[in-house]
Amino acid sequence: MAEDARKLLELFQCMVTIRQFETMAQEYFAAGEIPGFIHLSIGQEASSVGVCSCLRPDDYVTTTHRGHGHMIAKGADLKKMVAELLGKKTGFCKGKGGSMHIADFSIGILGANGVVAGGLPITAGAGFSIKMRKTDQVAVCFFGDGASNRGPVHEVMNMASVWKLPIIFVVENNQWASTTPQTSTGSVQDLSIRAAGYNMPGVLVDGNDLLAVRNAAMEAIDRARKGEGPTFIENKTYRIRGHFEGDPQKYRTKAEVGKWQKKNDPIDLFSKYLIKNKKSDKSSLDKIRKDVEAELGDAVAFAKDSPFPEPKEALEDLFANSYKGGSPS
Amino acid sequence: MSERIISTSAALAEALHEEMARDESVFIIGEDLVSHEGIFGQFKGLPTEFPGRIIDAPISESAIAGVGIGSALTGMRPIVDMHFSDFVTCCMDEICNQTAKIRYMSGGQVKVPMVLWCPDGAGLRAAAQHSQSLEAWFVHTPGLKVVVPSEPADVKGLIKSAVRDDDPVMFFQHKQLFARQGPVPEEPYLIPLGQAAVKREGNDVTLLCYGSSYYLCKEAAQVLVDLNIESEIVDLRTLSPLDMETVAQSIRKTHRVVIVHEACLTGGYGGELSAIIQDELFDYLDAPIKRVAARDVPIPFSPGLEDYCLPKVSDVVAAVRAVTYK
Amino acid sequence: MAIEITIPKLGLTMKEARLVKWFFQAGQTVAAEQTVALIETDKVSFEIVAPSNGLVNPVVAEGTTVLVAQVIGYVAADEKELEQLQKENPAEAGTLAEHLEDKSSEEKGEKTTPGTPGALKLKPGERIISSPLARRMAGEHGLDLAEIPGSGPGGRIVEADILQALAAPPKTEPQKADQVQEDFESNLDLTLADEIPIQGVRKVIARNMHLSVSTQAQLTLQTDASASGMQNFRKKVNKIIDSDEVKVSYNAIIVKAVAMALRQHPNINASMDGEVIKVWKQIHIGVAMDLGQGLIVPKIRSADTKSIISIAGELSQLADKAKNKTLLLDDLQNGTFTISNLGAWGVDHFTPIVNYPESAILGLGRIVEKPYVKNSEVIVDPRISLSLTFDHRIIDGAPGAMFLKTLTRMIEEPLLML
Repeated sequence: MAEDARKLLELFQCMVTIRQFETMAQEYFAAGEIPGFIHLSIGQEASSVGVCSCLRPDDYVTTTHRGHGHMIAKGADLKKMVAELLGKKTGFCKGKGGSMHIADFSIGILGANGVVAGGLPITAGAGFSIKMRKTDQVAVCFFGDGASNRGPVHEVMNMASVWKLPIIFVVENNQWASTTPQTSTGSVQDLSIRAAGYNMPGVLVDGNDLLAVRNAAMEAIDRARKGEGPTFIENKTYRIRGHFEGDPQKYRTKAEVGKWQKKNDPIDLFSKYLIKNKKSDKSSLDKIRKDVEAELGDAVAFAKDSPFPEPKEALEDLFANSYKGGSPS
Repeated sequence: MSERIISTSAALAEALHEEMARDESVFIIGEDLVSHEGIFGQFKGLPTEFPGRIIDAPISESAIAGVGIGSALTGMRPIVDMHFSDFVTCCMDEICNQTAKIRYMSGGQVKVPMVLWCPDGAGLRAAAQHSQSLEAWFVHTPGLKVVVPSEPADVKGLIKSAVRDDDPVMFFQHKQLFARQGPVPEEPYLIPLGQAAVKREGNDVTLLCYGSSYYLCKEAAQVLVDLNIESEIVDLRTLSPLDMETVAQSIRKTHRVVIVHEACLTGGYGGELSAIIQDELFDYLDAPIKRVAARDVPIPFSPGLEDYCLPKVSDVVAAVRAVTYK
Repeated sequence: MAIEITIPKLGLTMKEARLVKWFFQAGQTVAAEQTVALIETDKVSFEIVAPSNGLVNPVVAEGTTVLVAQVIGYVAADEKELEQLQKENPAEAGTLAEHLEDKSSEEKGEKTTPGTPGALKLKPGERIISSPLARRMAGEHGLDLAEIPGSGPGGRIVEADILQALAAPPKTEPQKADQVQEDFESNLDLTLADEIPIQGVRKVIARNMHLSVSTQAQLTLQTDASASGMQNFRKKVNKIIDSDEVKVSYNAIIVKAVAMALRQHPNINASMDGEVIKVWKQIHIGVAMDLGQGLIVPKIRSADTKSIISIAGELSQLADKAKNKTLLLDDLQNGTFTISNLGAWGVDHFTPIVNYPESAILGLGRIVEKPYVKNSEVIVDPRISLSLTFDHRIIDGAPGAMFLKTLTRMIEEPLLML
């Protein structure tokens, strides 16, 4: 599919934004400014951007504990994202969610999830609701190779197929489920072949090739919008950082990581593509990087200047109707 | 208001007819709903009147509960039928980690208008995995509302409020009560969540109950009259939010409390209630709070075994005599 | 003027005590009559109450041995006075502050806020068992719970008891204690030798004894029995077991005899509770022991199921525990029958008072040789006196006598216990 240069640069900028955001997070976490723990998707940007760039604002996405990329690719505001990671009142979740539960429902993100595979059943509901409401929205569900071994995945894939729900299952096979490799925990190495068992198309994609991901996503989304049911896309990629920041990573060698980093970095690959095909040049791409840096700098400044929530705000936002003995509207 | 006597199942079906006709976003999803019109006849007439809005799902509790939460987040008002309340264990993640928390975790960005309809309780010789009363688990999960109605009229008014509520509601309905009949007004009405009902007035002891235990208390109160003890029965109806005001008002009058529930004793809601009462009403108590509950074992199968484990009218009477020193 | 907190003289022989703990830190507010400190003599624990309202200033550290009449602290009227005091009387030991720090949180529960409506002027630690409602009502109506008999389980004072007390005609205002004392002294020309406050164990005994005789209709039957069978039996058994550790005592044999007799007369092993007679399955025999400062009644649990030798062992352990003040609540609770032995003091018959809420008590006199007519011949026979008091509300004379008869036979012929 031929893409115009402007769109391609937008995609490049989006990947760079995710990379810089997560690099910032990495540094701030190391400096002790981000409480709790965070999981980074550095090296997996093509999957986030490739899929989300094909979605409309009213389409739904459920994401994971490694979900910063999906949020940014779907269009989340960086200021509120940084603020949430820092636990500030101005964050998306007013400091109640943090990195693992970050969400922006206004752009269709139905939540990140601290539970592995936790988002799949929710996506089933979003898909079901689309069908009930007879709209042409779709719902995308990102999950990992680790999640693919959980029971709800089976339940939801079967249900989605039986009811032809407008769902795109995107497994980001980054080859590591926390500390265990896909080679020793998965019954098959290409998860997409499981799609056959659910009577839905399964597509294996080089997850670090942005345009390949985009093409697969477009086709799947198109099917879903037409009411032809779900598709299972497997984006084969690699997790460059540990499971969480601070992970000693005794389970793998630096050489293994380095190989992917050097030869298979999705942003490098895409910038080479842009330059080679004369869609852009090095200085333009550098300028984009600078612009992103400036934008992120503003977001960080905003977050740092923002207040923490008052401790007693912990008691707010539990119920929508918190009447006691009153009458529901 | 006309005194019309109908069964609990009929009251529930009537309420759901009213709500589904009123609001197109309401639908019911679960297992084996359509052909039986609900395994207890509780959805009588709904599949024909609202085709496509009462849905038989695959036996996939996680996915079913997920349909509930995902559709509630995107504009629908789902009623998720758990088939038997015992099966909540198959989707505890969806209920407790997702449904209960998503509004809070997101800083109040969303509403989750969803009812989890859970037929619970023992007495049907259904043994350990089809007989439990699990309400305390969910009272212990912030973010869920918990309703346990007893009489048919309560069921009608409460299910309508639960459907209209913008928060997830666990609606526990005792299986043995479906056939029970009682007066139910024909016209639509709501009973607000969080409102207990004083169903019998008396000065000597407050019987706190909900669901099936209401009927135990009602019978016990009759027996106690012969012993010159007048019981006040407070049917809590909603455990979360709890109507402590009504509870406190009664205890300030009677000074003695017996809490009755069908769930097993240890870790049951009665313990929580006792703690609140001693904390807020210590100086009004003339006797220790007594709890009447099931034995701390899984519900056994054989009739004699099951009956032995469940709370009985005589247990309530004995507890009342103990707290009234009579 | 700051008011001194001093060590009272408890009984004629007391010279010193150990200051066990302070319940207040320096500077904390105390109300008159609130317990401020706990002391322990060789015989009793005793709670010292504040002599007035004010701010506490301890000057003697916990763990210190103090003499009768020694000043251990002060109650200051206000902050200013407290400051002055602290300058003049610094706390004795450096560790005092730390001790108080540690204790403060644990002890909070025992403090009552002075001036709270409904708070009672009860001396803490007296353990008058009452429902929270009863306490509140008593407070509101100015009733002294110590004067109200409790009808609930374990003598708990409940609402009904308060209502009854309120319904009772008001008592004529008693003369002030001082006045009575003065009159007493002036009328009889007596000089006061010692004054022992009725507190602690003494007060509990006083209340229970009063409760017992005011609640029950007590009747005492007296008889005596030949102790020769028991003497022979004891000799034989002690010879057989030949142990330095356990010696079977007469008390042990009689505990067993009573337990076995109760088995045959279960209605004696009972309590009256409201409108019902509760007959107990277990037979827990209490044995009254004198501690000098008061009476204590540890129990032999399920005595009917135990051998005489093990009863003897338990009795000696309980006596040791009583002496060392290591009895546990379990050792003391839930008796169903009590034995009181005054034989050691040369007593024969007496009229023991039932240990409420039990229904009967056996009083044992000394074993003494007496002329006794047997088969028309006068012989010298060791005799033991038995006095059985019981609650006539639930046990009539004849059943009481039958129980005593069974018991007498078992004492005379211990083999019947088997």
